[in-house]
Amino acid sequence: MPILVNKKTKVIVQGITGQAGRFHAEQCKEYGTDMVGGVTPGKGGQEILGLPIFDTVWEAKKSVDPDASLIFVPAPYAADAILEAEDAGIPLIVCITEGIPVRDMLEVKRVMNSSKTSRLIGPNCPGLITPGECKIGIMPGYIHKKGKIGIVSRSGTLTYEAVWQTTQLGLGQSTCVGIGGDPLNGTNFVDVLKLFQEDPQTEGILLIGEIGGDAEEQAAEWVRMYCTKPVAVFIAGATAPPGKRMGHAGAIISGGKGTAAEKFAAFEKAGATVTRNPAEMGHTMMKAMQHSQHKQKSEK
Amino acid sequence: MNLHEYQAKKILKKYGIPIPEFGVASNIEEAKRVAEELHLHQAVVKIQVHAGGRGKAGGVKFAKTKEEILHLAKSLIGMKMVNEQTGPEGVIAKKVLISKPIDIAKEFYIGAVIDRDRAQPILIASPEGGMEIEEIAHKMPEKILKMPFGFDGKIRSFQLVRLAKFMGWKGDLAKKGAQIAQGLAKCFMDTDASLLEINPLVQTPDGEITALDAKLSIDDNALFRQSEILSFYDPTQVSSQEAAAKEFDLAYIAMHGEIGCMVNGAGLAMATMDIIQLCGGAPANFLDVGGGASKEKVAEGFRIILSDPKVKAVLVNIFGGIMNCATLAEGVIHAAKELQIRIPIIVRMEGTNVEEGKRLFQESQLKIITADNLQKAAELAVAASKTKR
Repeated sequence: MPILVNKKTKVIVQGITGQAGRFHAEQCKEYGTDMVGGVTPGKGGQEILGLPIFDTVWEAKKSVDPDASLIFVPAPYAADAILEAEDAGIPLIVCITEGIPVRDMLEVKRVMNSSKTSRLIGPNCPGLITPGECKIGIMPGYIHKKGKIGIVSRSGTLTYEAVWQTTQLGLGQSTCVGIGGDPLNGTNFVDVLKLFQEDPQTEGILLIGEIGGDAEEQAAEWVRMYCTKPVAVFIAGATAPPGKRMGHAGAIISGGKGTAAEKFAAFEKAGATVTRNPAEMGHTMMKAMQHSQHKQKSEK
Repeated sequence: MNLHEYQAKKILKKYGIPIPEFGVASNIEEAKRVAEELHLHQAVVKIQVHAGGRGKAGGVKFAKTKEEILHLAKSLIGMKMVNEQTGPEGVIAKKVLISKPIDIAKEFYIGAVIDRDRAQPILIASPEGGMEIEEIAHKMPEKILKMPFGFDGKIRSFQLVRLAKFMGWKGDLAKKGAQIAQGLAKCFMDTDASLLEINPLVQTPDGEITALDAKLSIDDNALFRQSEILSFYDPTQVSSQEAAAKEFDLAYIAMHGEIGCMVNGAGLAMATMDIIQLCGGAPANFLDVGGGASKEKVAEGFRIILSDPKVKAVLVNIFGGIMNCATLAEGVIHAAKELQIRIPIIVRMEGTNVEEGKRLFQESQLKIITADNLQKAAELAVAASKTKR
């Protein structure tokens, strides 16, 4: 059993009539995801890619009962789209949109933190995928391979890099979750680590962090306290200058805090296997798993 | 987006925050007009640049006579400030702020930021102003008060009482201080700020309280709804490459090395810089061409990288997702032909439509070195950047 999504997950797309929404709805469908509809206000009753379009998420919920919503709504309206999905009680909300103002995300976070029905992944993320079963996002499907590594990352293309390395090494992935590069996001590293820890298909966890904030430090602390599975880590941005936003809104070293060095140190202290070389993420995962097997044997 | 001190002060004034009278000048005539309009016989003249440490760098001066105001304005306008924050290239002050001098009895710090962990805006205050907040936090963390406030920019009355006690404000001063805190919090939310600082906030010998310096940074993602602030954008405060990149919606940051980098995705772009350094080289820049970059955008990115004379080799690292490798190849080939590139280009591509991309490079007759993986690509780029030509 992978985490969060599987072949039974029914998915709608908010913003399905836009260029990105339509393209990726089609890609997800081709991958085998059970796409059941789309939402674009004012276009309810029409059809796209053979899927029914609704004016509101609420109507989509009533009619096709989706488990997840994939959001491509433009940034100025994206926070509203997330809130609408939560209001309709969609269990999994995946927001791809980049560039949502922080002030809008404050409100979203407040609602999501007290939500009894919904979980948010993103925004500013590639989405998530359970290889061979369900893709809710924009990642190229073919680089993935069903397997035993759970991948969680703040990045998009760097995650693809990690996926590709683990695929080439034959490890494969259980589920890959992109939590997004914004300073305020829904699901965090620790949330995903907990799910991987409980998931029998996941035998090793590859975590990819970057500079800015302290989500990695919190994840390291959780790994130290609770994680029994091998964890491999890469942190991007060792060469990033302080005070500069490195592409992602959340990737900034401010007041000397949030450096890659601090984050590496936290994971080293937590007993994770870290690499400073992004070309070695797959090998490092392999090493962490061998090391852990060795440890288990010697404990027996 | 960062604002100049004078721009931040203009905005703060609207929120009822007392500011010493000031004017802005970009030439000597304007300086003269400011001095006359404000009836200044003495003044503080400060360069307007997007970097801290102006005082230490000699960019803040005190004029004791009217003549000296003009003299200082003349010498400070056009000044190039170089320090750790600006990098070796420095920044040029196109304007100076000319302000009425204020007698200082005590200096405070007051500011606001977003707390990422708690997902809340917080007010930060300290009775020890005049130095950077990081320094206060380091030297005397007990002298810093942090309080969350409402998304509407409201501070609760019990919090204002706590603030006044913490800052040592009594009676009339407490009232004035509370107004400033309220104004600051409201301004922070209204402007979609990511950082707002008044440092120092100054108490005068006659019991007034006023903002001597101000720093305001705005969430770039919210600029679409901040038209006034957008009009404050000053392209002279970033490198010409950064200004050009902004125009084409490319995320570019100048570095000091010799290997130009063109990558899609922020995380992969950082990782590419990291691996260059691990292989013994130094990146010349960070450049994220974005997810759905067009051929034109790729070509523009290339132009920007090559306009940096330090660049001795270019490493292109693309993991096609939304981005199609063939589109990338077309963009690179187009730019390489147009610009008659003479330095080595190393390309590493993976992902969507990679075979077509590789074919286009082969047919282009350009001397482009392709690499099968990230490690190899970085090694080749470092070697190329160190080859004497």
